[in-house]
Amino acid sequence: MSDSAASPSKAGILDWFGLRWFFRFLSSSIGQKFVMAITGLLLCGFLVVHLEGNLLLFVSAEKYNAYAHFLHSQEELLMVAETGLFVLFLAHLYLAFATAWGNAKARVDQYAVKQTKQAKGLWAASPSTWMFASGSVVLGFVILHLIDMKFQARPDIVYLDEHAPNAPYANALAVLSNPISRVVYTIGVIVLGFHLSHGFASAFQSLGLNHPKYTPLIKWISRLFAFAIAAGFASLPILVPSLSR
Amino acid sequence: MSHTGSKILNLNLQIWRQAGPDQPGALKAYQLSGISTDMSFLEMLDILNEQLIAKGEEPVAFDHDCREGICGTCGVMINGQAHGPDNATTTCQLHMRRFNDGDTIVIEPWRAKAFPVVRDLVVNRSAFDRIIQSGGYVSVNTGGAPDANAIPVAGHKQQEAMAAAACIGCGACVASCKNASAMLFVSAKVSHLASLPQGQTERSKRVVSMVATMDKEQFGNCTNTGECEAACPAGIKLTNIAQLNREYMKAVLFSGE
Amino acid sequence: MTQVSETPLDGRCPTGDIATRWDRHKFDLKLVAPHNKRKNTIIVVGTGLAGGSAAASLAELGYNVLSFCIQDSPRRAHSIAAQGGINAAKNYTNDGDSVRRLFYDTVKGGEWRARESNVYRLATLSTSIIDQCVAQGVPFAREYGGSLANRSFGGAQVSRTFYCAGQTGQQLLIGAYQAMMRQVHAGRIKVFARREMLDVVVVDGVARGIVTRDLVTGKFETFSGDAVVLCTGGYGNAYYLSTMAKTCNVTAAWRAHKRGAYFANPCYTQIHPTCIPVSGTHQSKLTLMSESLRNDGRVWVSKTKGDTRSPDQIPEDERDYYLERRYPSYGNLAPRDISSRAAKERCDAGFGVGPSGLSVYLDFAAAIKRDGEDVVRGKYGNLFHMYEKITAENPYKVPMRIYPAVHYTMGGLWVDYNLQSNLPGLYVLGEANFSDHGANRLGASALMQGLADGYFVIPYTVGDHIATKKLKPVSTEAPEFGEALTTAKSRVESILKVNGKRSVEQFHRALGHIMWDNVGMGRNEKGLIKAIDSIKQLREEFWSDVKVLGSGETLNQNLEHAGRVADFLEFSELLARDALHRDESCGGHFREEHQTSEGECQRDDDNFAYAAAWEFKGIGGDSVLHKEPLTFSDCPLGTRSYK
Repeated sequence: MSDSAASPSKAGILDWFGLRWFFRFLSSSIGQKFVMAITGLLLCGFLVVHLEGNLLLFVSAEKYNAYAHFLHSQEELLMVAETGLFVLFLAHLYLAFATAWGNAKARVDQYAVKQTKQAKGLWAASPSTWMFASGSVVLGFVILHLIDMKFQARPDIVYLDEHAPNAPYANALAVLSNPISRVVYTIGVIVLGFHLSHGFASAFQSLGLNHPKYTPLIKWISRLFAFAIAAGFASLPILVPSLSR
Repeated sequence: MSHTGSKILNLNLQIWRQAGPDQPGALKAYQLSGISTDMSFLEMLDILNEQLIAKGEEPVAFDHDCREGICGTCGVMINGQAHGPDNATTTCQLHMRRFNDGDTIVIEPWRAKAFPVVRDLVVNRSAFDRIIQSGGYVSVNTGGAPDANAIPVAGHKQQEAMAAAACIGCGACVASCKNASAMLFVSAKVSHLASLPQGQTERSKRVVSMVATMDKEQFGNCTNTGECEAACPAGIKLTNIAQLNREYMKAVLFSGE
Repeated sequence: MTQVSETPLDGRCPTGDIATRWDRHKFDLKLVAPHNKRKNTIIVVGTGLAGGSAAASLAELGYNVLSFCIQDSPRRAHSIAAQGGINAAKNYTNDGDSVRRLFYDTVKGGEWRARESNVYRLATLSTSIIDQCVAQGVPFAREYGGSLANRSFGGAQVSRTFYCAGQTGQQLLIGAYQAMMRQVHAGRIKVFARREMLDVVVVDGVARGIVTRDLVTGKFETFSGDAVVLCTGGYGNAYYLSTMAKTCNVTAAWRAHKRGAYFANPCYTQIHPTCIPVSGTHQSKLTLMSESLRNDGRVWVSKTKGDTRSPDQIPEDERDYYLERRYPSYGNLAPRDISSRAAKERCDAGFGVGPSGLSVYLDFAAAIKRDGEDVVRGKYGNLFHMYEKITAENPYKVPMRIYPAVHYTMGGLWVDYNLQSNLPGLYVLGEANFSDHGANRLGASALMQGLADGYFVIPYTVGDHIATKKLKPVSTEAPEFGEALTTAKSRVESILKVNGKRSVEQFHRALGHIMWDNVGMGRNEKGLIKAIDSIKQLREEFWSDVKVLGSGETLNQNLEHAGRVADFLEFSELLARDALHRDESCGGHFREEHQTSEGECQRDDDNFAYAAAWEFKGIGGDSVLHKEPLTFSDCPLGTRSYK
């Protein structure tokens, strides 16, 4: 492309590093989808690790506490990981808003009637139609979750001091046993599963991985993954309160 | 002559009327009776227009030409579906036997920022031409081409190219997409030429340039809903969009473009 | 009586060895130096195969090209609907094809009413077309090994037809369109879409520009240039029902005719044998089923008159495979005119099938039994799909029903060997001219001609005009432009002023009836005289009773249609007059008075071996007939037999 050469006067820091092409890539519709897909898949990876740790609640309080204390003992590493996660999340979020904004502008006048032609019955309920909405619910849930767990700032919950040996387990149980949390967490993770059931497979399409030989499999894995994540996380607010302390 | 089982329909039409690009438009109701199920959808509109003319009302403007599903000129939203309820069908190929007596049919133009309404159901799709202008071709001048058999193309590659090249440029993909994205159209041309040896020289340049034009024309983003594929009368597949994504990534990350 | 010009019309063809004529002629043509080409503007009207390829090739040479199309994009011209394929004398199949054989088949197929020199050039260029299109990325069908595949078509005993599934025209047109778009990007072509050409502007006896109307804003515009190239297609819509797209019209050609360009052989119209039959009075358009279907489909009717049994109830020995019976060596692949008349003959005799009795069966049962349904689907899937969409019948189970329909028009504006009309500076390409197909066109030859004209002929010949004429620049301020503009405007205004009672559509249908009934597949003196009278009368009614609403300042499709029908009403009379004057049968022109005992065409070479080029002398007036004698040295006059 000749665009970069077209404006030599605007040479700036991007040109110093020879990264104008990268900026152009990031600002193109396909580049944005690419980043969306990559960040989405990495966040999926985080979900798996997160779920693994959480499921230790069912194993024993000791294991869970040990895991939590181990994580917190690696302060520098944890900070790097959290920052990375935050950046991924922010990028995913920013692109969601940017594309939604662009897409809204691409059709100013709406149809009086609109129906799908896809053979999937209830279009209105199809995950692909609701990515922005489901994503927004997940965002709300994540904020609440951070308040609950990371900042331990829920006024209606009594937290143990985090240095106490049993604190991780006790605090998790306290949050998960709270009736409001139980409802919100269950709904939150179900919506997350809904988001993933399209998002996981969609990421492969955005990365250009679509082939008649593999795509049906990817779609099934996507649904299975979404179900596993949703069921796994939902088991916590549903089953954990009944665990004996 | 009529086919066995042909019936007569009475219909309630709701049609978008708009006098010009900058004029306001609205859905207008029309009652139409005596429509044979053997008629095509456009013939039904012809009859409506004849009745309107008789009444002294200006006929409904709609684009159409070959009336056999290949030129890509026709295309309207029929009850919220691009080209109507059938898959792999253009508006002109849709027949009234697909409807029932007493049905209400809402007819609207393609709606997208990039496809401004010209009048009634007619829209301006020249954005598609500009996308092709930015690179949807093989740069070869007339004359001096080598013997056709000097460029062998494996049968399956040719079929792949043909399947993508079948795009008729009607714009149903844009119209049906909730984001008014043109990815299916662009991907069809990119895949067609990328599948053939003739298209290799400009492969990277083409995709980068066409995507830049697509973005500039204010089409929306693809969110992989698959609605375009279901609406496409020429059977262009979503795999083409994946290929477009791949081609673009390869071009930007690994080529000089 | 027809007024006949004394001087024979000269096609200005080279002489000598036919095989080297084009080569020698190219050398004799004057050239325009590369740096001078950009100073010259060429107006190309129409963006089908001829117009698209011409615009692209001329721009590649460096000319400024102004390209006009009536559709919303150059990609939509009706060439796109050609299904079956394109002929080329490549002999890839090693079955005995050659340039000379393609030439021979085409002259014979056209019933010795085409120019030998032109046809030979066409056959020669056919091979370059395939090379060019492949280089552009046209996805022609391939064998598994990667080489190009071929199939056979009507009127030929060799397989020389190249194809892209059932969408050959589409792919070739997209190829030309892409080549055009590349030149638009390069700034050498300017496209004017949704523009209708309404007149040719002639300055000092040379075509120097056109008048157009912007169909969206209604604005009239004038454009000047150094040559005008008309690629505006055929006039089949004079019959109302045809396989043509709805916007196909004769207006551009007819207005050029009114400015002095001769119109040649308008009576040569092709009725295609395999179309989906008419299903009712609402019918707006007929759909072609590619001739390629006759490779595997067998045409038949019952041996019993008025047989109402369903086809599966008619036993094999009670079926009449009349094409195989009458033309054993070509069978179902007999040429179009012959197959069409054979279908008409059976239906007129009371053997027709279907509810109206106006159709015959095209049966794939044998092919499905032999090759399996999948193979048949692979070859014709899209055509079968299209048939089922329209008729709601499944052709894999029930035989298709087909009937002939107007499909192509061999006649057109008269051009010389350079494709230049008698009006200097006005070139006519593709279906709009008359030159290469004689009285009947063979299947898969239209695409070949359009592309040969646009890619390989006009780039050479237009330069000769520019180099030899040494034209002075002309501006659209010149009085000739003003006069043409006023004429075009006032015609549109007068249509709007009539304010009568009948719609344009009604007039068009009425004209179609007159034409199909009297100037259709079978013509006779009485019918033709009647047709001329009826057309005259209809024309008068049109100008006193047509009702066109709205204004001329917006998109007004009804007004566009009215202008085209008004021209058809003038042109059709010439068509009928030409048919009346040609007192012989040949190809697409079948005069019932002149047939053999077996119902075949009976030519009259002594009196009619010429191209009839008509000079305009007022509407409905007695046009002057100019005769271009046709001589046949390399494909001697003979009997056209497909038995």
